[in-house]
Amino acid sequence: MKSEDLLRSVLEVEAPWQIVKVRDDLGKRQVDVWVAQQTGRSGWFFGSKATVPQDREQVWRHINLGGSRCLIHAVPAVMPGGQAPLWCGDGDLPFTRAMSRQIASMLLEGVKFQSICSILDVTVADLWKFKHSLDSGKAGLSSAPPPPPAAAAPSTRVPEADDPVWEKLLDGSTNIDIRVLSLKLLLTKLREQMRVITDAEVRVLKAYELQRYFLRYEQMLGHELGQLGR
Amino acid sequence: MNTKDGLMPVAQAADLIRAGKYLCIAGDEQALRQLPAGNWIGGTIPYFMTRDGGKISRDQVFVNEITGFSAPPTLRLYDSDALPQLCRNAPENGYTILIVPAFSDCHGSFAQNAPNYEDMYMKPVIGWIAGVHLDDLGKVTPKAVLGTTGEFSEQQSVAMDVPLPPNKFARIDIVNLFQPGSGDTITFSETGFAVTNCQINGKPTNLADYLIGNGTDTRLPLVADYCGAMVNVSIKGIDANARRVDFYAPVFPGLDYKIAAPVTDYVTSFQAALPRIESGMSFSCNCILNFLYSGLEGKRTANVTGPMTFGEIGYQLLNQTLVYLTVEG
Repeated sequence: MKSEDLLRSVLEVEAPWQIVKVRDDLGKRQVDVWVAQQTGRSGWFFGSKATVPQDREQVWRHINLGGSRCLIHAVPAVMPGGQAPLWCGDGDLPFTRAMSRQIASMLLEGVKFQSICSILDVTVADLWKFKHSLDSGKAGLSSAPPPPPAAAAPSTRVPEADDPVWEKLLDGSTNIDIRVLSLKLLLTKLREQMRVITDAEVRVLKAYELQRYFLRYEQMLGHELGQLGR
Repeated sequence: MNTKDGLMPVAQAADLIRAGKYLCIAGDEQALRQLPAGNWIGGTIPYFMTRDGGKISRDQVFVNEITGFSAPPTLRLYDSDALPQLCRNAPENGYTILIVPAFSDCHGSFAQNAPNYEDMYMKPVIGWIAGVHLDDLGKVTPKAVLGTTGEFSEQQSVAMDVPLPPNKFARIDIVNLFQPGSGDTITFSETGFAVTNCQINGKPTNLADYLIGNGTDTRLPLVADYCGAMVNVSIKGIDANARRVDFYAPVFPGLDYKIAAPVTDYVTSFQAALPRIESGMSFSCNCILNFLYSGLEGKRTANVTGPMTFGEIGYQLLNQTLVYLTVEG
């Protein structure tokens, strides 16, 4: 495999987008990659006439390439299905979708902020900006695709992830009669975790995790949902 | 249960394998070794609950036929390093049957870490811990079997991922006759299969001394309340000299344990506790300790059948508990 094809594969850049430029001299242990849409000519890696319009260009931190930071320069992109590619970021988020998923997965595993910054070589400021977007429902929380925005969600009896009911269930101030074994075991585990998690943001992630379970199994949680006051 | 499920001669099980059926098979190692390669997973155990009652057999095998799947089930072995990927690899809608050899690295690892596996509790996992005839303890090892290759493993676990159609969903539940007794509250500061120190009603105490001093019936498990699910930890033994208590499953910190209240008549209590299940059980297993302590040989537990095992898996490792799977929708 050519090195160009390898990089394109690693970054998951697929038509109609292509890598148009790569630089490794803009920062210490840093690789900058420019991605743009194909112009219709016989565009090929580095040989394309495509360019990234500088007035609309954004820069996102992507998953590290080995020991090097990777920055993607591109115009926000949307695929035919309406979803952004993994190498692209959402709105003003500092990270690409792939990087966002990686960080969210680490947060869900209970990895501390400082550890994430150290392991991934990201700034605390960027990480907090990202976390704030999670709180407002703008970003996904796990390795699974991010949840759809509330407006697009189908009719559901499950309260929103930021509803206080989840925090009350998790801290034990609200108790319900549970008939489903997996929920009994999951809630016990999450309550144990909540006892030792003091970071408010990570506690929010636990609420998301519990709400995700309810969304997945709404069909068999009628008895439990009926006690949540909705 | 599928009407074809049950204890049967090896030759009958072999016919089902040759017919291409997807099967989960429990039996003594020598019986399982007579089966041909095919779409089956297995584990060693010679104790069973049959339609005719509890039975010990070295030459027959207990077969569960897996039906109702939306795509062919996936069968594979997991070593202890790969096991944390179990739920991640499971189908989005369906269930996983897992068989883990007792005393293996997988056994210890699963027991202590399963609650923290990615997607645990999001995807149904049911199964059991393979064992041996108690006369063979220390002579032969429990094993899991991947029928597609005929591989027997004393260290690796075997799993069958069963995808279900969108209009169906799997549900796992338990029947545990043990309830927390009215005695002291026992807590632990660390996760472990073996314990010396604990807290009794908040006071640091040696658990072995406590159990011996109180003349505790060690056939009764410790019971913890998991938001309404009573989860047992069975006592394997007390080493008085080492002042240590060994368990068949780990105890966890942060939970309040109590010695279980005695169950006077297992069969009667079991029938009273068993919920009405309209869709029928697709799979179930029960614990060898219930078989032994309650003298179930020759006695029936309603219409619930399956292997009597060295541990049950209902998402996580359980003890002295019936675990069953239903497919609903």
